[in-house]
Amino acid sequence: MEKEFIKKTEQSVTLNVTAGKIDSFREIEKTTGTVRVYENGCIGVAGCLGEPNEEELTEKAKAALAFAIPYPCCLEGPLEQEEIHDEEIIPVAEFIPTMQRFLDRLGELCPRFALTNKIGMSRTYTEYRNSLGRHLVSCGRELNISLVAQSRGSGNLFDTGFGWSGDHFDEEALLAEFKREYDAFYKPVDIEPGRYPILIEPAQLLYSYLNHFVGDLYAAGASLLNGKLGEKVFSDKLTLKADMNLHTAPNGCFFDAEGCVAPYMRPSLVENGVLKGLLTTKKTAAAYGLPNLGTAAATYDGVPDMDLPGLYAEPTAKSLKELVPGKAVLVVVAAGGDATPEGHFVTPVQMAYLMENGELVGRLPDITISGDFFDLLGKDYVGTSHDDPIEGFNFSAFVMDVEKP
Amino acid sequence: MIQFKEGYYADIRIEDRFRTTISYKAGVLEEMKTRNEKQAFLRVYDGKLWYYASVTDVDHLQKTLDGLYAAATANPDILEDPTVKRFEVNRDKLSSFADRSVRDIPLAKKQELLLSYLPILSEEPAVTLPEGKYLDRNSEFRFLSSLGADITYDYQTCGIVLSFAMAEGEKQFHGSWSNGVTRFEELRGLEETIRGSVREQADSMRNAVPVEAGKYPVVLSPEAAGVFAHESFGHKSEADFMISDETMKEEWQLGKAVGSPILSIAESGAIPGSGFVPYDDEGTKARKNYLIKNGVLAGRLHSAQTAAALDEELTGNARAIDCEFEPIVRMTTTYIEGGDLSFDELIAPIEKGYFIKTVKHGSGMSTFTIAPKVAYEIVNGKLGRPAQISVISGNVFETLGLIDGLTRDVELLSFVGGGCGKIEQYPLPVGFGGPYVRVSEMNVQ
Repeated sequence: MEKEFIKKTEQSVTLNVTAGKIDSFREIEKTTGTVRVYENGCIGVAGCLGEPNEEELTEKAKAALAFAIPYPCCLEGPLEQEEIHDEEIIPVAEFIPTMQRFLDRLGELCPRFALTNKIGMSRTYTEYRNSLGRHLVSCGRELNISLVAQSRGSGNLFDTGFGWSGDHFDEEALLAEFKREYDAFYKPVDIEPGRYPILIEPAQLLYSYLNHFVGDLYAAGASLLNGKLGEKVFSDKLTLKADMNLHTAPNGCFFDAEGCVAPYMRPSLVENGVLKGLLTTKKTAAAYGLPNLGTAAATYDGVPDMDLPGLYAEPTAKSLKELVPGKAVLVVVAAGGDATPEGHFVTPVQMAYLMENGELVGRLPDITISGDFFDLLGKDYVGTSHDDPIEGFNFSAFVMDVEKP
Repeated sequence: MIQFKEGYYADIRIEDRFRTTISYKAGVLEEMKTRNEKQAFLRVYDGKLWYYASVTDVDHLQKTLDGLYAAATANPDILEDPTVKRFEVNRDKLSSFADRSVRDIPLAKKQELLLSYLPILSEEPAVTLPEGKYLDRNSEFRFLSSLGADITYDYQTCGIVLSFAMAEGEKQFHGSWSNGVTRFEELRGLEETIRGSVREQADSMRNAVPVEAGKYPVVLSPEAAGVFAHESFGHKSEADFMISDETMKEEWQLGKAVGSPILSIAESGAIPGSGFVPYDDEGTKARKNYLIKNGVLAGRLHSAQTAAALDEELTGNARAIDCEFEPIVRMTTTYIEGGDLSFDELIAPIEKGYFIKTVKHGSGMSTFTIAPKVAYEIVNGKLGRPAQISVISGNVFETLGLIDGLTRDVELLSFVGGGCGKIEQYPLPVGFGGPYVRVSEMNVQ
């Protein structure tokens, strides 16, 4: 009988912000434990909230084998690896005063905005062991600033937002960037309908196409990518990976729920336009003869399931200016879009800036953007830039049709 | 026995949550588990800041509460605080599901029910990946406050969720069907309903015609109307968005005309189903609240904090997804009230338009969108061919004003799986629905 043991501790402190003032402080610590056992082609799972008692969980997992849930036993082999990124970002005792000072300064720079929502710090510690001698420990911390901005007097519940997440707090850089966005917000500009490079976080666009990358839908012939694994189907410039690297995904985990570790901790979906991977678990990979991507997730008491932790598009340009030297649309909020089964994607854009030569020109009115799956990731994919205008801001550009509603 | 201290407001919410998940994919058992979690969420308020803690160790709540007291500052006038003065002090024991709890139904019986429906999916030759889930939840809540509130109540949902990838030649479709109820026995006898739905979605995959993008009259089903009510106006009625900017109260003044005179949108946690919240997570008793009545802004949804800030009454809408989070302003069951037409009368005047029958998802800000799953043409007052539509969209307030017909019959829907998301809290079970709703013009793409 083979066995896996997982312990995960998630800690967070979260501040609620109302009208620029912190009005609540929440502290959570949650530990979970999991044991999975494998015997006769089946899996047994047991989990607990709180500090795990491994022996007790093992007995429960063995008992769960009676459910006869089929699962291949193909554990990862021996490996000892730790990725510990545990530097304190802001001491908990100083979190409220530090953030209130930041909010006060932001309020002075952006007096026409009423700011609400959350600022949080989190730490995630995950340990994985299996009976083949694999032992992995991952620990990361993240600061997450997510502020909703109402333009005073607009009557809108939501006008725009300021957001950032990362493993440090650079107050001056954030204030400068948020001020830049604030200034552009109050410069209304217009755009003629036509085709423009659209700067958007890749996940925001590709979420609507996620089904087509799911292993069992691919195997079932229900993906637009049917039969294309290993083939070049997209632009040469497109390299798309799942991001499990703590340098760029600091609150994640560098291994998946089944103990898989990818090179550079970024399993490949697409490399230079070639379809390299699909979202799988060890079970679906084995069932359909697909390579296992290594991005499985699992609840603390559940069988592993396919997941996509986050997307990483390899940069093709050093800056936004180099990426889109002319006119471009930078999308801030685009909610409610979707794609037809044939791959035609349409979304309204509720908040966007016009950019020119890498600089924000002004705020655009509501627009609609659209495109088709293979074109967007093929001939219409312009490229990706990282850390511009500030660290952690990663945008990909796709040429899309822009219309006014 | 919890000892509350003077000089602070405090409350404790404890949930004992039981859940079952059984899932099959392509005929193979994927998951079969029950989970029983007991957690608590504690709040202490000193008039300036709220201090929150979430714990799984529910046997030592006093220690956690004392820790929060230590972080806060005693305030002798706390009982005069406008938020604290708003809190209701209810004492009640409400047991709606004790005699039919899903906790008491053997796992094998739930598995057997799910297995009885799965073969229906494979009757359709285009289905290449049939999947099915049985889900249930039974929760026992207790709420205590330093003001003397002491409430226990229970909550229950159970249901079947089926999904099925279909492919035929170049055509593909991701179909689904689900049913959420509160009694296990209500999940029996659904074979023909499921069979009909699978057939209809296969027909849509095979025969749906592309739309020519443009503006058309649109008829929304109760499901689509419910999504519209929830996304386009329900979220706008959540008052926590209104307390940051002083001008918001003027912009959203009660009594202002915001929609067609035939339109009324209501909200209530007292309706049985997935949005059943007899007491909210601050101990406020459920009641019916009108958001829009006869086209006029009639109310909004509140927690005690927002009710105090806007000097309005409590509504019973402070909710958290579980005991890891604090309550924030959320919906319960949101619905459009019915009108005076039959379905045939509703579509009769439409020469060329669309009927949105089922929905993948929707969203609503200044512009709302609905991504339909199954939709039909309406031609010369009759339903026509299935239609391929990416999204329908429109300006929220313009669309509210363009509603020009409602059927008499209203359907309220209940769900298992998924739910409403707001900020960090997802998924929250809600209900929604309405009559069939005719809108004279919407963008169809």
